[in-house]
Amino acid sequence: MATASPSVFLLMVNGQVESAQFPEYDDLYCKYCFVYGQDWAPTAGLEEGISQITSKSQDVRQALVWNFPIDVTFKSTNPYGWPQIVLSVYGPDMFGNDVVRGYGAVHVPFSPGRHKRTIPMFVPESTSKLQKFTSWFMGRRPEYTDPKVVAQGEGREAITAPRKAVFSVHGLTSPRALALVHIKGT
Amino acid sequence: MNPREEKVKIITEEFIENDEDADMGRQNKNSKVRRQPRKKQPPTAVPKEMVSEKSHLGNPQEPVQEEPKTRLLSMTVRRGPRSLPPIPSTSRTGFAEFSMRGRMREKLQAARSKAESALLQEIPTPRPRRLRSPSKKELETEFGTEPGKEVERTQQEVDSQSYSRVKFHDSARKIKPKPQDEEELLNGDDAEDLLLGLDHVADDFVAVRPADYESIHDRLQIEREMLFIPSRQTVPTYKKLPENVQPRFLEDEGLYTGVRPEVARTNQNIMENRLLMQDPERRWFGDDGRILALPNPIKPFPSRPPVLTQEQSIKAELETLYKKAVKYVHSSQHVIRSGDPPGNFQLDIDISGLIFTHHPCFSREHVLAAKLAQLYDQYLARHQRNKAKFLTDKLQALRNAVQTGLDPEKPHQSLDTIQKTINEYKSEIRQTRKFRDAEQEKDRTLLKTIIKVWKEMKSLREFQRFTNTPLKLVLRKEKADQKADEEAYEAEIQAEISELLEEHTEEYAQKMEEYRTSLHQWKARRKAQRAKKKKRKQAAEEHPGDEIAEPYPEEDLVKPSPPEPTDRAVIEQEVRERAAQSRRRPWEPTLVPELSLAGSVTPNDQCPRAEVWRREDVKKRSVYLKVLFNNKEVSRTVSRPLGADFRVHFGQIFNLQIVNWPESLTLQVYETIGHSNPTLLAEVFLPIPETTVVTGRAPTEEVEFSSNQHVTLDHEGVGSGVPFSFEADGSNQLTLMTSGKVSHSVAWAIGENGIPLIPPLSQQNIGFRSALKKADAISSIGTSGLTDMKKLAKWAAESKLDPNDPNNAPLMQLISVATSGESYVPDFFRLEQLQQEFNFVSDQELNRSKRFRLLHLRSQEVPEFRNYKQVPVYDREIMEKVFQDYEKRLRDRNVIETKEHIDTHRAIVAKYLQQVRESVINRFLIAKQYFLLADMIVEEEVPNISILGLSLFKLAEQKRPLRPRRKGRKKVTAQNLSDGDIKLLVNIVRAYDIPVRKPAVSKFQQLSRSSRMFSEKHAASPSTYSPTHNADYPLGQVLVRPFVEVSFQRTVCHTTTAEGPNPSWNEELELPFRAPNGDYSTASLQSVKDVVFINIFDEVLHEVLEDDRERGSGIHTRIERHWLGCVKIPFSTIYFQARIDGTFKIDIPPVLLGYSKEQNMILERGFDSVRSLSEGSYITLFITIEPQLVPGESIREKMSNMLKKFESQEDEKLLQATEKFQAECALKFPNRQCLTTVIDISGKTVFITRYLKPLNPPQELLNVYPNNLQATAELVARYVSLIPFLPDTVSFGGICDLWSTSDQFLDLLAGDEEEHAVLLCNYFLSLGKKAWLLMGNAIPEGPTAYVLTWEQGRYLIWNPCSGHFYGQFDTFCPLKNVGCLIGPDNIWFNIQRYDSPLRINFDVTRPKLWKSFFSRSLPYPGLSSVQPEELIYQRSDKAAAAELQDRIEKILKEKIMDWRPRHLTRWNRYCTSTLRHFLPLLEKSQGEDVEDDHRAELLKQLGDYRFSGFPLHMPYSEVKPLIDAVYSTGVHNIDVPNVEFALAVYIHPYPKNVLSVWIYVASLIRNR
Repeated sequence: MATASPSVFLLMVNGQVESAQFPEYDDLYCKYCFVYGQDWAPTAGLEEGISQITSKSQDVRQALVWNFPIDVTFKSTNPYGWPQIVLSVYGPDMFGNDVVRGYGAVHVPFSPGRHKRTIPMFVPESTSKLQKFTSWFMGRRPEYTDPKVVAQGEGREAITAPRKAVFSVHGLTSPRALALVHIKGT
Repeated sequence: MNPREEKVKIITEEFIENDEDADMGRQNKNSKVRRQPRKKQPPTAVPKEMVSEKSHLGNPQEPVQEEPKTRLLSMTVRRGPRSLPPIPSTSRTGFAEFSMRGRMREKLQAARSKAESALLQEIPTPRPRRLRSPSKKELETEFGTEPGKEVERTQQEVDSQSYSRVKFHDSARKIKPKPQDEEELLNGDDAEDLLLGLDHVADDFVAVRPADYESIHDRLQIEREMLFIPSRQTVPTYKKLPENVQPRFLEDEGLYTGVRPEVARTNQNIMENRLLMQDPERRWFGDDGRILALPNPIKPFPSRPPVLTQEQSIKAELETLYKKAVKYVHSSQHVIRSGDPPGNFQLDIDISGLIFTHHPCFSREHVLAAKLAQLYDQYLARHQRNKAKFLTDKLQALRNAVQTGLDPEKPHQSLDTIQKTINEYKSEIRQTRKFRDAEQEKDRTLLKTIIKVWKEMKSLREFQRFTNTPLKLVLRKEKADQKADEEAYEAEIQAEISELLEEHTEEYAQKMEEYRTSLHQWKARRKAQRAKKKKRKQAAEEHPGDEIAEPYPEEDLVKPSPPEPTDRAVIEQEVRERAAQSRRRPWEPTLVPELSLAGSVTPNDQCPRAEVWRREDVKKRSVYLKVLFNNKEVSRTVSRPLGADFRVHFGQIFNLQIVNWPESLTLQVYETIGHSNPTLLAEVFLPIPETTVVTGRAPTEEVEFSSNQHVTLDHEGVGSGVPFSFEADGSNQLTLMTSGKVSHSVAWAIGENGIPLIPPLSQQNIGFRSALKKADAISSIGTSGLTDMKKLAKWAAESKLDPNDPNNAPLMQLISVATSGESYVPDFFRLEQLQQEFNFVSDQELNRSKRFRLLHLRSQEVPEFRNYKQVPVYDREIMEKVFQDYEKRLRDRNVIETKEHIDTHRAIVAKYLQQVRESVINRFLIAKQYFLLADMIVEEEVPNISILGLSLFKLAEQKRPLRPRRKGRKKVTAQNLSDGDIKLLVNIVRAYDIPVRKPAVSKFQQLSRSSRMFSEKHAASPSTYSPTHNADYPLGQVLVRPFVEVSFQRTVCHTTTAEGPNPSWNEELELPFRAPNGDYSTASLQSVKDVVFINIFDEVLHEVLEDDRERGSGIHTRIERHWLGCVKIPFSTIYFQARIDGTFKIDIPPVLLGYSKEQNMILERGFDSVRSLSEGSYITLFITIEPQLVPGESIREKMSNMLKKFESQEDEKLLQATEKFQAECALKFPNRQCLTTVIDISGKTVFITRYLKPLNPPQELLNVYPNNLQATAELVARYVSLIPFLPDTVSFGGICDLWSTSDQFLDLLAGDEEEHAVLLCNYFLSLGKKAWLLMGNAIPEGPTAYVLTWEQGRYLIWNPCSGHFYGQFDTFCPLKNVGCLIGPDNIWFNIQRYDSPLRINFDVTRPKLWKSFFSRSLPYPGLSSVQPEELIYQRSDKAAAAELQDRIEKILKEKIMDWRPRHLTRWNRYCTSTLRHFLPLLEKSQGEDVEDDHRAELLKQLGDYRFSGFPLHMPYSEVKPLIDAVYSTGVHNIDVPNVEFALAVYIHPYPKNVLSVWIYVASLIRNR
């Protein structure tokens, strides 16, 4: 039996990207994807998704509500490389260019049940003041080649070490990902 | 009925509560009357009026409206609850029989049985306080009218219904005026009637019980039992402590208890009361009778870091601080170490003044005055300390302690301990007393001395009749209360006497004891002696001869004398004497000396001459101080004149800026007399302050100094070191030395930020002190600089430090460490000392786990497991075979495995290469993880002016320019790719000069041999390619229908079929790329060894009609493809080049059966004229990868930079020159390759010309054409090209380009262009040619190395890897541009405008065209070569080659059969042997000019076969490339049923095991 079907455990993730607090920005959309280790494989559901554009609520909370569903099932043999949800939020800037507003990542919760996660978001900053200005002016802010970088360790030093540019935590912005996790062992 | 009854109860209760205290005055007149019956019938359970009334009303829906009524009615009842005792339940039935019994009984019985079961629970206990209506009304009641109503009531109520009725009527009447409809309605008969109907029903269910009632007293009683209100009163201490225990206050005993948290006193009391009530054990209370409490945990200051307020503060954290560069101080013993923050430290020395206690200019009076002042100081000091008083107090305390200790009321300690402590106390008392007496005596003596000196001084003043000093002593008497004084004195004496007595008695007792024992002994001894004597006497009598017996020890016989008891009187006498001597007697007044400077000094004119001289001498003198730091003068004070009082005031503060830890601090006192040179009086050594002493806190201290100088003066001054006397007769001489005191303070300065500017402690102390410092023990108690732990421990024990005090904790720990076991400090540090406990499984078991092993290997990136996915969950699910490959590899690491390589030598080489590769990769593993910012972040570059300008320009540009420019593609870093993302695009443009099918007819005619095959073919051809091609035929064009097939990673794509020998396809083929193991990292991509095969085939259509009769009705053809040639391009080349664009020579086998090249047909292009016919066919290609991958160029550059750092044996100057040269070249022509230094196989940097040196080619080759140099050169080139090609980038993972020397290259039998070129160049040099190494770019290799030779007026460019050579002006030369030329003694960089070999001049002697490395300014230093002196060639083993040949043939045959799984593969042995016979000939002729003979031979032998086949020629490295080559020809693809195959292999061995492999494959179809 063992040879026929190797035992795996399943991780079912249902949830939604609920809302975000981006006090300065409006009309944002978000993209989610998963980063997972070698021993993981998605078996069902969507690994990636791009949400609708949402506007800020008119009340004091000024929340950007997406309620964008996530539903994916992974199978794995090893908790190492536990999936992480990577969220990246985009939206138009002053001139209408689509720029990135935040990156963030969080592990899928480890325990079954209903969890609510608030993720601090950040964006990479330009390497110099001049570049900052030009990127603002041209609407071409620095972006990661792949948003999955935020969930990985390698290559970080390239961002921090050789240049002075580093991440700046951009306010307290927080798309909240709400996830229902079901873990199934076989 | 149930609800109604409940209501009754509720209302009753309300009643009690509401009306208890209602006003008495509201009672009606009946109340008096009513009270009567109550008294009469106390035990009856009297129903309440209200109840009756309510039942009368019978309206349960209106509880609220009933309220006022009940209230009203209850007035009569009010008195009840208080006065009536509870009624026993037995008595309640007594009255029930009073009336109506007959009628009611049956019904009640029935109803009760029902109701009791169901409802009784809810009926409350009877309330006893019911009042009845007055008896007279009772008479008026009509029982008959209300039978049903009564049934409703409880049994007890039955009797009282009459009253209630009346009462109701009564009350109803009163209420009547109220505007309540219902009341009115209910009043009267009709209301009763209304109720009657209901009553009947109710009868059946109701059990009647008295309402339960609990008196307020009971309730209070119960409450008192249950409830407890803790009092706020302070709980007396005795309650909180066990009996007979006195509270013990730890604080008072001096133990540290900590600060209790603050709780309000009342709350504390409440809690204490509560605890006492709950838990009589008192375990909540401490010894002091208070609740146990931990010390207040609240810290006085918050430990939370300050909250960052705004965004800017985040920025502030990232801000850089400017710190001034600090000069490095050379480290030595006393210099702060470089690790410490260097800075300026500051020592503040405050020198306030100088006082001479003796000076040569002192007059006699001064001497006395100084003495007096000294004594007085002493006195003051003693007075301040007042030790006598302290000791007296202590004595008192000890006495008290003894008193209390003897107190018999303390039962707890055993007598023993008490006795012990008392004894201790007593001994202490004795000691203290002794001390005190001594002190008191000293005080007294001092006082006496002071008075004596003063007297002397006075007499001196009188004697000399002037005064020099203003000193004046006043003795002040302090009268004490004489009586009290006396009493105290007496008491003291008495106490002392009694103590002494006790002491003496003890002593006495002890002595008596001793006495007794000794007496006893003495007696015993005497007895024994007597007995002996007797014996002796007897013996003497018996033997009178020996009378001289042993002498008796006489001393034994001394009788001990009893000690004398002490006499009280004697002791008293003693005590009193002593007291009189040392103590102030009670009648004496206390004398307090006071020294003042109030006296007047006699002015000069009244003094004798000598004195005036003295004074003038003093005035001449002045004093200054030098400050010496570490024995170096750092500053000095101003010179101040000496005052008449011999005091000098400086008041100067010196701030010493220091960097070193001070070693010594000295003041030198200099005295100047008049204008003479200053003389050094004395040196004063100042102590270096403790680190705790900082400015502002340092006390002014006085340091004494003295000088040994001898001064004799001729005036009144007494001089120094000279004896003098106060007496007139000169007796009692005195010698005084100059001495004095410097008052100063030394302290560490405090910096701006409050940090003391103290240099770190010097090195020799640092180990020890830092440990102490860390514990902060020393600073906690305010001392420092301790050196002896034992002493510290002793001190701690003596000072009785409180071990509980957290302040002392580190110190106590230190002491405990120091005292217990000689300060055991382990000399090791254990990192994870708890690791053992967390090991859930033993290491062995862990290693045995397959899963763990798999994970481990994967994380180590062992190639087999690098991208292993989904490691199984359980061990049992992991197959053993997973590890097999890996284990095999490990096993075989040192075992040479011959199966795959067949040839042992090559196996060894492969192993060696593998090992070199591994070591190199391990060396550079770190760098592989290197990412650039651009890899991670997409960021726009900062536009500079040119870009901005261009972009502005762009705005004006046409939208669709007429001449569109190529746009650069976006580059993609490899790391984020996955399978299917990368595609290989191959654009096949056109081909030239494809071999064409040999026109069979002409051949046939030429050969003039009749063969069926050709005749048939001839017959078939025209029919197949009918009408369209027939048009061509007259032109003589022989048809070929070529198409191109591209195969890469076993994916095959092909173009459409074109026609003619110069076809044009212009087609783009797309092939997916799959990285090994799905690993798309740069390193992995660089090591891809796959090759793109571009094969050109001819599509041949054969008619397969069996029957001529069918010819008219249908066409049956078979498509056959005949391989014509191929182009191989390694993927690594494409990867590094990013695109490959150009025309390549098609590798066409020397013999292509059935095909030939028609030279006369191809004349239309200009270049054809210059091309010789032997040159083959060409194909134009464009290959690229989509998306464009960024090759790991940056890594290579970085690594090469890193490699330069490796040790090099080159001269430093030379290396600098190379860098300069390269920089200059790169500045001019950044795209041209310039190579000066390379890295050899051991990683060292070597200058490139060292590789070039004439080396002998194998003799064997030279012997072939002894006279033909050109032929020999070609042969040598061929030999070199036969050495397998192995790009460095593949073997070393893109890390670096390693150059091996020629002998290494020949040993390895593998290398890339450089090695081939170097070897070829060396051979040419040895052949006497002019040869250079040519670095440049070629297609398809990219940056590569060629060889340039000068021969007979023209330059030849040799491709070392293929062995081909090209003229300089050959358009098809793959070399596209030239970077530099390298000769054995110089390097020339191409500085011509063009770099294409067609357009440049190769004359290196012209400095305008070629920039040489060594020139006049830098002459060639004569570098020795790294190459060996001579290459030694072994002859190849022919037998081994033959064996290899057989094995390869066998393997290939098996492979071909494998590739044809659905068909039968037949081997034509006859043909095979024929082919085998041909191959050596091919080798001999190097594949040239044999075609015709060959074909003829074949035709002769295999006449009746349709034959297609060709020989392949390759250098031998491994079997796999051979298999791939055979596969790529597609010979096996023929699926004609009756096909047969022939395969022959020939290996020609060349020296040094270089093997040339020929493979002849052919397919044969028998012609019928």
